[in-house]
Formats: sequence, structure tokens, C-alpha cells
Amino acid sequence: MMIEALQFEFMRNAIIAGCFASLICGVIGTFVVVNRLVFLAGGIAHAAYGGIGIAFFFGIPYMLGTLGFSLLAAMVMTAVVLKSKHRADTFIGIIWAVGMAMGIILLDKTPGYNVNLMSYLFGSILAVPNSDIWWMLGLSVITLFSASFLYRDLLAISYDDEFAKLRGVPVNLIYFLFIGLIAVSIVIIIRVVGLILVIALLTIPPYIAEKYSRSLAMMMALSTMLAVFFNITGLWLAYAYNLTSGATIILVAAAGFFLSMGLDFLLRKSRTDYQNL
Amino acid sequence: MNHPIIDVSGLSFSYNGTPVLSDVSFRIHEKEFVALIGPNGGGKTTLIKLLIGLLKPRQGHVQIMGKTPGQVAGQIGYVPQDLNINKSFPISVMDVVLMGRLPFSRWTGLSKKDTAAAISALESMNMLDLRDRKIDDLSGGQRERAFIARALATDPKILFLDEPTANIDSRGRSELFGILKELNKTKTIIVVSHDTMVLSSYVTAVACVNRSVHYHDNAEITEEMLEMGYHCPVDIIAHGLPHRILKTHGNE
Repeated sequence: MMIEALQFEFMRNAIIAGCFASLICGVIGTFVVVNRLVFLAGGIAHAAYGGIGIAFFFGIPYMLGTLGFSLLAAMVMTAVVLKSKHRADTFIGIIWAVGMAMGIILLDKTPGYNVNLMSYLFGSILAVPNSDIWWMLGLSVITLFSASFLYRDLLAISYDDEFAKLRGVPVNLIYFLFIGLIAVSIVIIIRVVGLILVIALLTIPPYIAEKYSRSLAMMMALSTMLAVFFNITGLWLAYAYNLTSGATIILVAAAGFFLSMGLDFLLRKSRTDYQNL
Repeated sequence: MNHPIIDVSGLSFSYNGTPVLSDVSFRIHEKEFVALIGPNGGGKTTLIKLLIGLLKPRQGHVQIMGKTPGQVAGQIGYVPQDLNINKSFPISVMDVVLMGRLPFSRWTGLSKKDTAAAISALESMNMLDLRDRKIDDLSGGQRERAFIARALATDPKILFLDEPTANIDSRGRSELFGILKELNKTKTIIVVSHDTMVLSSYVTAVACVNRSVHYHDNAEITEEMLEMGYHCPVDIIAHGLPHRILKTHGNE
């Protein structure tokens, strides 16, 4: 069945795009999850819609508008996170909502253009153009390079940022750089798989992987593998039963999430049972 | 005992307009073992962070070996409060200790020297056989020793510890203080702790921190110190051997 589906270029592209998205989200999502930046990632992903509005309304190129705007939003959010941690969630919430509303009004006021909000939310992984595959390939290379180049710094910042600062690691600079990378990744991947799937891929695989990992690198590798598995399984199910692909992938990932929680529960139970013998 | 290793003068600090420390001055000499005591919220952690350069003073200055804390970062070992650290984080003991060797060259990564230093720090804490364990799987006492090993990875002259015994049972506590006493042979030690009883036989000086700092480097216990210390019945530390004094404050 899957083999048959593979004859179609759109299916091959969907799988390739899914694998790249899994790799990028596996690496970046690990950083997002251990640093508890999920809300910030969600904020960037939604505020990016404002960038789409700006791009179409003012007639500037799509990538320039969305990347520029979400980078700006991400930098503001990072500054707030670094400056006043306890207020950060409130400000992120505001930027989240305002960006989204701006996008909708600007698109309403753009003559002759009608962007489907649903496609922003759930993407169109079955209609990935070749150009987007190249974007994702480039982004994968940048992500892997930055994560390995800055691995020890990222590890120290994520584990204990004060200690990292004390040891002379440029904590704030690296924070800005990496959150910038998160913003760029989110914008490029949203085009392919949609906002909801980006959030799912950034959170579910790293969360499962964290429990079984001894290091950040292992967590990144394990999340990537899990995400690839969810993507391919989801695509196959969507093809076989004629379902919306993005949503199917998310539900497969959710099933994996509950399975791992159940497994954990049983493991812990059997361990305590054993101890009580 | 000529030049002080730490020289604090006229130091003041406030968070968002609320003064935490005001006009603090004291000197610590080499190889002293100083206990910082005082009520929670009295500014002990803030004082430590000012001493190591994580916070910048609003007024006054901190000098370590005649320089600013930032200039002598390699000579400063820091063991933060355990509870501020994410416990489920996927990291091995070895990787935590290696953090003490930061920053690494981003092109060549860890050097043999870094690994060797981390291993000998782990060895000195009797933790070498646990180096591949996930930090999450350690007991409170083992985790604390891993953090001390991280602080020792650069072989610092001064060691700062912020409530190192908060999550440790009483046997582990005296064990830990035994380790600190051993380290004190070569290093100056500044420790925040509520374990005044156990500490009393180790320390050479006591600083009572509560907005202001009263520094005692002799056996004398003054009324001030009692007033300053806590607002509850308390064990007071004396210099050298314990002279235990219990005093109940009337106001609480």
C-alpha cells in the first residue's frame, strides 16, 4: 500500500518534508522542552501569521515578510524572558494574540487575496513544492551545525544558566541566536506542515524521548526518530483511510504519547510491586 | 594573613527598589572557613551572587585577590542551591562536572586536560564510579558531591556553597562537612547553611546576614549577633569549639 503510494511525487515529497521537519523539530524541540519554552514557541508560531498579513498587504516577498516579522517577535519575547522571567508568559500571550489578529485584518484588507486560515493551521504536507524541500534541507544543515557547534554551551545554558554565565559562556547572545533559529524553523516548517503539527512535533517526541535519554544529544536523536515514525505512520494512515494528513500525524503522535505514559506507569508499578515483595 | 582574599566595602544592593543589602563591609582572609547565617530572605544568596560576580553591586565594591570577581572567575568555585536546578534533565554526572571547565573551544571541543580535570574532581569527591549515571538517579548527597566536583573542576582558590545540605539527611550532612573541612586545607570556603550545630566545630568566622552583615572573626558572641541572626530560637556558633547558646527572641 505504502509502496504503491510512493509512485506519486507528492507522496515522496510529503515523506521527505516530514523527515526534514522531524529532524529540525527533534533538535530544536529538545531545546524548547528542556528550557520550558513551549509557550514561547507557540507565541512565535501564531504571531508569524501577522508576518503573512504584512507580506501580502504590502506586497513584499512572503519569506521576507514572515521571517522578518517572526524574528522581530521572537527577539522581543526573548528580551522579556531574559529581563523578567515571571512576566514573560503574559507578554508572550499578548504578542501571540496581537500578531494573529494583525494577520487576519491585513489579509481581510488585501484586495483579491484570500489565504485559507485552515491551511495555516494544518498545512498541506501533500502539496509540498520542490522549493520548500530545498528550504528545509538548508534549514536542517544550519540546525545540525548550530546544535553541534554550540552543544556544550546549549547544554550548560539549559541545565544551569547562572553557572554557565559564571563560567564566561555568552548566555544571552546564545539565547537570542537559538531562539532566532527556533523562529526561522517554525516559519519554514509551518509552510509545509502547518502550525498545529509544528507544535505537536516540537513537544510530543522530545517529551517522550526525555525520559529515556542520558544526554541532550541522545534526546535529540531519539525525538527525531520518533517524529519520523509518527510522520510516516500518519501519512500512511491518512492515505489508506483518506484522512487529513496533518491531523492524522498529530493523532498518531498523541497515541505514542499516551502509550509511553502507560508504559511508564506499568514500569513504575512493577518496580514498586517488586520492592514490596 | 596579610592581604584579604575577599574585600567587600560599602556594598549595597536592591531588587526593584527594595533594598536587600545595605552598606556591607568585611574582609575574608585566605583559608578561612566562613559560615553565612541569617533568616531566609535576609540576603545570603544575594550576597554570594555579588561576591562571585553574578550580580553587580549598586554601590560599593567587591574585590577578590585584588581584582573584580569576573577577572578571577577561574579561581572561584560555586555550588548553587540544589532546588533551582531542573531535576528531570537528561544529563550524566560527567557532563555536569565538565561544565566546570567551560568555556570550551567550539571548534575542537573538549580537550584531554578538561576530561582529566573532571575525572580528578570526581575522584576527590569519591564519585568516579557514578560518572555515567543520570544526575536524576543520584541521592541528594551524591548530587551535592557532583555539584562540588563541578565547582572543583578548575581547582579554584575559593569555594562558595549555597545551602549545600538542604536536601541531605543528617549522616550525609556531617559527611559533607567533613569533605569541606578537608578542602579547607587548601581553599577558602564560604558556606550558607542553617546547620549551625554541625558547622560550629569547623568555621573560623561567622557572618550574620540580614539586610546588613555583621562579621565575626573571633569567639566573641555579642548581643548584636543574637539580634541579627534569626527571629526564632537558634543555635549560635562560636569560634572553634562549640559554645552552644540558645536564645529565644521575645518578638516571635
